[in-house]
Amino acid sequence: MGGDDEGVVRLRRARRQRRGQAMVEFAVVLPLFLFCLIGALDAGLWAVQSSAEVSAVEQAAMIASSAGSSPLSETAPDARAVTAAISGRLRSAMFGTSIETWCATDASGDCAPDSTQHCPTTPAEVQAADGPRVVVVCVSESDPPACTTPPPGQAAPYPPGCDDSPMITVRVIGFVASLVPPGFGPGASGFELPTDISATTHTLRFAP
Amino acid sequence: MRRSRRRGDDAQAVLETALVIPILLFLICNFIAVMVQVTVQQQLNSATALAAQSRFQAPESAVDPAGTRCCGAHGVTLVTAGLPTGCRYAAETFYGTMITYTGLLRWQAATLCTSGGDSGNETNPRLDPVAYPGSPAHAEVSCDIGSVKAGGAVVPGYVDRTLDPPSGLDVVTCSAAASLDFANTPLAWGVFWTPTLHAQAEALPPPFRQ
Repeated sequence: MGGDDEGVVRLRRARRQRRGQAMVEFAVVLPLFLFCLIGALDAGLWAVQSSAEVSAVEQAAMIASSAGSSPLSETAPDARAVTAAISGRLRSAMFGTSIETWCATDASGDCAPDSTQHCPTTPAEVQAADGPRVVVVCVSESDPPACTTPPPGQAAPYPPGCDDSPMITVRVIGFVASLVPPGFGPGASGFELPTDISATTHTLRFAP
Repeated sequence: MRRSRRRGDDAQAVLETALVIPILLFLICNFIAVMVQVTVQQQLNSATALAAQSRFQAPESAVDPAGTRCCGAHGVTLVTAGLPTGCRYAAETFYGTMITYTGLLRWQAATLCTSGGDSGNETNPRLDPVAYPGSPAHAEVSCDIGSVKAGGAVVPGYVDRTLDPPSGLDVVTCSAAASLDFANTPLAWGVFWTPTLHAQAEALPPPFRQ
């Protein structure tokens, strides 16, 4: 009888050890599994968001370069109008991310891109200005240098490129939301993904 | 007996882990690499399409004067003096748009500005475009464009006979190619392939062009 009891106790102990081992394995594997799962989903989400951004900035650059206020205009439209034109496309892909216009309004309250408009250069700059999970659309214009009388031996127009049409740059920059909730990521506001996509083109001049 | 069985179980678990973790990391690395490839391909498509459109933002017969250079991005300087201004516009647009992931790309050198060329069909032979005289040969984008010579003779752009058969339409085509190299990234641990990305875009002249 004593031998049977001892056997039962041993069996129970072995079963408990096996359960404990399974718990430890589960505890080790679960975070790894969740990390891989959320990472894969986030990578897929990031690809979808990047794709939407690339096509949106391309569309925005074309709008900004060709939609002057008059056929003779060389000025791009208000940055808010450009943002409104592409925000629908961006919103459908960027869940949980705010899309804002980056602009410094002039005296008349317009947000026309000109040489004084400086786009943020890093996503962190956007986060510092507008908070987490915000992507801004920035439209800037770069004008060519003014033409001057060419020095002897140089042909007009001088300096080279002075009669170029202005260049328009549309930049979508900031941090996009990820599936990791705020407070669980390495950053203070969650595991957000930086993004910085831009498109540059010359403005279209219509024939007078 | 029992101890040796437990040791055997432990060894099996270690072996399983040693097999599974590298496979898992390999899969993750390649998954991320594919995502990066898709994104870079889209950017390349976008930059090439905008470059082709940009050719028409310049007046048709404008030619860059002596001393004109572009582009600066990626440390590339291209001398465009004597070339159609639209060609420089295309290059500036391409370099200005293709600003991310450039560290991963190994570009295939191309002639910046070419002219002529024919897609060909059953009755017309396919023709390769020829380089403009003096066009830089180390550009990352190549645009086949039309222009007007000093004497007034029209140099056709690329003739795409699939657009308006059988005569075809003169269009601007821009193309770029680069290979995506993960060697200097942490992904190199599990990514052993180097995909080559190609992009080509065509643009038709707008009706009210200067």
